[in-house]
Amino acid sequence: MIPRRVFSPAAVGIVLVGVGLAPSVMSTSQVYSGTEVVILSLFAVSYNLLFGYLGLLSFGHSAYFGLGAYATALLLLHAPGVPLGPAIAGGTLAGAIGGVLIGNFCVRLSGPYFAMLTLAFGQLLFAVAWKWRAVTRGDDGFGGFLKHASLALPGTPESGSQHSLYYLVVALAVPVIAATWALMTKTPFGNVVVSIRQNEERAVFLGYDVFATKLITYTISAGLAGLAGSLSAIFHDFVSPSVIDLNLSTDVVLMTFIGGTTFFFGPVLGAVFFVYFGDFISALTDRWQVVMGLIFVFMVLYVPKGFIGLGRLIPSVRPRETRPETAP
Amino acid sequence: MDMFGVGVTLLFGILNGFGYAMLLFLLSSGLTVVFGMLGVLNIAHASFYMLGAYFAYSVVQSTGSFWWGLLAAPVAVGVLGVLTERTLLRRAHRLGHGHELLLTFGLAYIILELVKWIWGTGSHPVSAPAVLDGSIRLVGGAYPAYRLFVCVFGLGVLVGLALLLFKTRLGMIVRAAVSDIDMVNALGFNVRGLFVGVFGIGAFLAGLAGVIAAPLLSVYPGMGPDMLVDTFIVVVVGGLGSLKGALIASFLLGGLQSFGVVIVPRLAMIFSFLLMTVVLIWRPMGLFGERA
Repeated sequence: MIPRRVFSPAAVGIVLVGVGLAPSVMSTSQVYSGTEVVILSLFAVSYNLLFGYLGLLSFGHSAYFGLGAYATALLLLHAPGVPLGPAIAGGTLAGAIGGVLIGNFCVRLSGPYFAMLTLAFGQLLFAVAWKWRAVTRGDDGFGGFLKHASLALPGTPESGSQHSLYYLVVALAVPVIAATWALMTKTPFGNVVVSIRQNEERAVFLGYDVFATKLITYTISAGLAGLAGSLSAIFHDFVSPSVIDLNLSTDVVLMTFIGGTTFFFGPVLGAVFFVYFGDFISALTDRWQVVMGLIFVFMVLYVPKGFIGLGRLIPSVRPRETRPETAP
Repeated sequence: MDMFGVGVTLLFGILNGFGYAMLLFLLSSGLTVVFGMLGVLNIAHASFYMLGAYFAYSVVQSTGSFWWGLLAAPVAVGVLGVLTERTLLRRAHRLGHGHELLLTFGLAYIILELVKWIWGTGSHPVSAPAVLDGSIRLVGGAYPAYRLFVCVFGLGVLVGLALLLFKTRLGMIVRAAVSDIDMVNALGFNVRGLFVGVFGIGAFLAGLAGVIAAPLLSVYPGMGPDMLVDTFIVVVVGGLGSLKGALIASFLLGGLQSFGVVIVPRLAMIFSFLLMTVVLIWRPMGLFGERA
């Protein structure tokens, strides 16, 4: 249950209109960061299906982001004339297929075993992207695949502009995030997922297929990460192993945790913070990641529920906790 | 290649695998004992390894002697480990295993970024000490002396560790704490103090592994994450908390890596993942683990 005070139709409407109109008052570089925020928000939301909802800490989530990015980029490169829609769908599907195959092993485990197996699979896929030069061009990466695709969107000034990319990303990511929110908070499926995290044994005895539920959640999470990766490939018109590396996997842990895992939109907050605060401190110091790491450690020790946990200090916007305890 | 040549190649392969197994055991022994005692999976363990290598690099740069690095760097890392436990990990303990894991993860992140900040993102060579710089003639082939040193040194540490754990009273208490820490606590032993010591020794051994790995693999920021994955594979295959498992899995992985590189160079990495995946499907708690 999400409190109405926060999610009144008016508030949602204002946010949506704001997101829609924002580019008209922003500079190109602001539109650029805005697009980045939306892509990372989708990625962090996908990650939180595992971290917050299932209580599973994964260190290899960039695998699916990368699968999506590479699949879309390769489709656009090798199948000239393929419309953008199928290319994005292909990226999403690649993430989901990877999720089914790898999740099949991972979701049987929990705690540190799960963390290590996801890390290992993530590093394995990274090694493939790094070493399979014939297909991925190794660490050089490749780009320029968008020239084959038609990017003209209705109502945007020019094809392939920063603005049209922003609208493309928003038009896909926002409805998908909303649908995921509905799935996790409004459906019996979402309730089963939460019940498994709260007490797996009890869920088994209630007759739920715990393995299938975990695998489905893992697959959805991987598919959403694939979509985020796919959008990122299109946005940058470039892919390299950095879309599938350990850095990205650790970044998503950081932003999800900092935002707060106990609330569906916490990770969105984390992504916003990660990009904008990251920009802010990177203007002050080269090594902004050190600051981000210190904030993370501080929050692990003193604000274990993330920014959403801070929200309780302000009673009027306190998000009622839908789930009693935190991630693993 | 004649039979003799095959024999020499085989021997060198075994030695290479043995050396790598020693490195892996130095790392995984600390990780697995710490996990066995408190259930904390220390993601920052490989960061201690990396710090050992970087400290050694700096000491070698300033003193010109590898031996000073071998002496000083692991001690510095061990002290750092003790400080980490006393100031950070202890605080996270009351928050539960999930937060302890996140804390060590955050620590690994900070250490990696600090290393990039202080020493740069490039790779630094550390030369082996002059005595061990050449090769040794071994049954008709030339084998790098330093690699042989790694094997012998590793074996020495292994024997020392085994004596400490299995022949002393302290070792007995540590092993008892791995199997049931509450009971050891109830018997009146200071388990928190014991744990600080074990954590420090684990960090020391990781730092030691970093120093002796430095001339072999050079020093670069990715060395921590690279080793983290292999160490994890070792402790998972061996079973978290099992020293015997860590030892056997170190040899399995060392052998796989060493011969994998010879047989199918491009797929060498895949073998370790296959090993782990097969073991986890067959025995989710690892070869010698007691809990999944």
